[in-house]
Amino acid sequence: MQREELTLLRTRISGFVYVIAAALTLLAIGFWHFQVAQSSRYAELADKNRFKQIPLIARRGKILDREGRPLVDNRPSYNVVYMREGSRHTVEEVASMLANGLGMPREELIDRIEKNKNQPKFRPIILKEDVNASDIAFVNARQYEFQDEISIEYQPRRRYLENELAAHAIGYLGEVTPNDLKKPELKQHKAGDQIGKAGLERVYDAILRGTDGYRLVLVDNHQREVEKLGEEKAISGNDIRTTLDLDLMRAAEEALKGQVGAVIALDPSTGDILVLASKPAFDPTLFASKIPASALQALNKDPRKPFLNRVIQSQYAPGSVFKIFMAAAGLEMDVINPLEHVNCTGVETINGVTKHCWKSGGHGSVSLYEAIVNSCNVFFYNVGKDLDIDKIAYFAQELGLGRKTGIDLPDEKSGLIPSREWKARAYKTKSKSQQTWYPTETLDVSIGQGAVSLTPLQAAWAMGGLASGGRLVQPHLVDPEMLKKNGFAAQKLLVDNYKVRAATVDILSRGMLGVVNEGTGTAAKVPGFDVAGKTGTAQVVGRQSYGKSEDFEDNAWFVGFAPYRNPEIVVAVFVEHGGHGGSAAAPIAHAIFDTYYRKKTGQFNVQSNGPVAQVRP
Amino acid sequence: MPAPLAIRGYWKDFDWSLFGAALCLALIGLTEIYSATKTVPGDLSFAKQTIFVCGGVLLAFIVASIDYHAIAEHIPWIYLGSLAVLVYTPLGARRIAGAKSWISLGPFNIQPSELIKMVVIVAMARYLSELHVRGYLSFSQIAKAVLLCAAPMGLILFQPDMGTALSYTPILIAGLFLRGLRPKLVVSVVVILLLLAPIAWFVAKDFLKPHQIDRIQTFLDPSRDPQGEGFQVQQSKIAIGSGGFLGKGIFNGSQNQLGFLPARHTDFIVSVVGEEMGFIGIAVTLGLLGFILFRSLYNAQTARDSLGMFIILGVVAVYFFHMVVNVSMVIGFFPVVGIPLPFLSYGGSSILTAFIGLGLVISVKRRRYVN
Repeated sequence: MQREELTLLRTRISGFVYVIAAALTLLAIGFWHFQVAQSSRYAELADKNRFKQIPLIARRGKILDREGRPLVDNRPSYNVVYMREGSRHTVEEVASMLANGLGMPREELIDRIEKNKNQPKFRPIILKEDVNASDIAFVNARQYEFQDEISIEYQPRRRYLENELAAHAIGYLGEVTPNDLKKPELKQHKAGDQIGKAGLERVYDAILRGTDGYRLVLVDNHQREVEKLGEEKAISGNDIRTTLDLDLMRAAEEALKGQVGAVIALDPSTGDILVLASKPAFDPTLFASKIPASALQALNKDPRKPFLNRVIQSQYAPGSVFKIFMAAAGLEMDVINPLEHVNCTGVETINGVTKHCWKSGGHGSVSLYEAIVNSCNVFFYNVGKDLDIDKIAYFAQELGLGRKTGIDLPDEKSGLIPSREWKARAYKTKSKSQQTWYPTETLDVSIGQGAVSLTPLQAAWAMGGLASGGRLVQPHLVDPEMLKKNGFAAQKLLVDNYKVRAATVDILSRGMLGVVNEGTGTAAKVPGFDVAGKTGTAQVVGRQSYGKSEDFEDNAWFVGFAPYRNPEIVVAVFVEHGGHGGSAAAPIAHAIFDTYYRKKTGQFNVQSNGPVAQVRP
Repeated sequence: MPAPLAIRGYWKDFDWSLFGAALCLALIGLTEIYSATKTVPGDLSFAKQTIFVCGGVLLAFIVASIDYHAIAEHIPWIYLGSLAVLVYTPLGARRIAGAKSWISLGPFNIQPSELIKMVVIVAMARYLSELHVRGYLSFSQIAKAVLLCAAPMGLILFQPDMGTALSYTPILIAGLFLRGLRPKLVVSVVVILLLLAPIAWFVAKDFLKPHQIDRIQTFLDPSRDPQGEGFQVQQSKIAIGSGGFLGKGIFNGSQNQLGFLPARHTDFIVSVVGEEMGFIGIAVTLGLLGFILFRSLYNAQTARDSLGMFIILGVVAVYFFHMVVNVSMVIGFFPVVGIPLPFLSYGGSSILTAFIGLGLVISVKRRRYVN
């Protein structure tokens, strides 16, 4: 009986052999799957585990003034970043862990992660920019808990040393958008990168930016660096020396303070822009850190449009400033005889239309010189009548009006010089009578009213060109020759040469010298420096609701240059609703001419805002 | 009545191949424990494991020299004493990893629940072998066998240590199968369990620890990853997969050396073997384990009496359970439970238990011929 029992048990034990054999076979197949069939995939994952690329962010080049004084440099800063790859927490958990420590609402943290969810997982997402010491301490103290998920990243940040000064010229940075990344010229960028969004920061982004590097390291499971395997050093961006003059800029900013307007000064012989100021402005520092939504909204909603670069983007009726171009056209086309007089009675009827001079009672018998000095409307109505609109348009365009100057800033406006052809085109959807150019419109244009409009830059550029005998050098904030010297591709400056007769230039210059010495622009006078110029007071057509008391104030202009022969500097000042050009605009021009003259004659204490930087070759 | 110590012919009847296979596994384990911990400053795992293995070998020789009948004779009070130890353990024990499963013995911590498995094997073997039934087990006989196993299991669950408690079930199931279960009963139990599983899951949710629920959920759906359980298995898979056919070489596994593998010298030692020794290393390890199991079953078949058969089968069942659960776990075929791999994983209790089992098998083998 025991034998039988043992035999039965032995048979049953054999059954267990099959169970074990089957299990071992399955396990072996399982390991074969991982170690042979799928091995390369897991080898890749193991490499991803142990190799880590630490980005080294390149320092952006500085932006300097013409004397090498820094307008923009960099400061060290740190971001808190979140790495989704290998994350052991959900987005909600990450947000909950950090909300209190970083002093941010959970929703904002979640929102920031969600916005970047289409980016590759190994790319860190910035959760908080430009953190302070306590944020860094918070993250570092919890490094064991956060491990590689949450870390601190170094990023040099832009520092705008002069705050609002030259904000419109310098521009600002911003995070590259998904749309930007589709552009071929930006394809080396990656999400989260800062790129120039406006001004010089945008135009010369490629030069300023430099090349990010990286460090390849072997890390352990706590992301501690075990061994450095390789390094590609970050290449710092190149500094850019602009043509701006910090001293003149400061003078312009000071003079324009609290007003809405624009100041531009340039050297007509080289096209160098010395001053570019537009008010109200903004502080680009706001964009150096993530701008608070409320601050951005306030700036965007400001009816005075702080982001508008009035120097190149606002187009205004030039008023009496335009009379200089009328006079030039008249002389060049032999419509004006400089010795002839016109009798101004204060009222003139031309082609059946009655027009008034600004001076009731009139100027009496006026020569060209007197007409410029006293800004006589009647004289220029006659010039306009004799020239007719198409000749005016032709000449104005030859002198640089009604077209873009080609300044190295984005989104320049072209102004408008009307003509018969323009009107037919502009009103082509309207009735025939509306497309017709009427002689009375020519008269309006003759005194800088009506459809004609200029940007302040055009006013300065064209005036400088005229005073230099018709030679117009493309205006610029960065000299392409200097870029070429430093090894960058740059286009040659365009030079237009219309060849205005020397006699014409001489008559006009003397007239404008008269304006400043004895006429409407005496506020711009600088003793010892022969400033010549022309004021303009343009009627505001239509209601522009900025502030109640200014609703009906005229726009004030002053465009001038010095010295009156072979000018070195042209200045155009525009003050929105400033009132009379002689009282509102000319004093601002004075501040610039005065500073320029004192610097030139060594009476100016050149202010330095820090060590003078060298432009790197 | 055989002598308690059979000095004569001891070495002649000793199962050298079985012992050799176990020693090879222990050496693979020691190598990889050294590799896994050499970069951790102050880690004494390798030295301690060396002591454990030496102690284990000594214990195996001692147990093998004792007649298993003598052990079976004394098993009732050993069994009761073991229950007392299990009652004491959670009271005076140190809490390690959330469970009070350990008692201190000088510099070493001992996990009684591991060692007592061997006591239950012998107790179960004695009970079942003395039944001498020719047909199928009766209901009351099954109930008594279940109770014999469930008593220590219940105490271990109370510690709470579900993994170790679960590792007692193969002793019961293998023993019952060997003794004879009515096929109809087996089929109906399986069917009922399958039907009850979803209900059990809802009930279990209430009394399982959160980490246990997470482990099961992560196993069922690896993409959810609340506590990093999936991360652990993911890293283990990466280690094993990246090892490839030949392995990265001993001391060269990046997952191991750089610390990406969790619990790499204990429950996940197979991952280190897989990474550094490749599929070849895994095949050798599984081969050696398989050899131990098959060789033990052969010894069971040639055993003198049913007591010896039941003892060996209990040991085989425990080894088998540990092997399947541990190895499946590291490649994600089974939820993560703290079950060590016999002879390889770091741990005094685990090593000593495995070698005691080996001693029991050899003890039975040595007495296969009727004196």
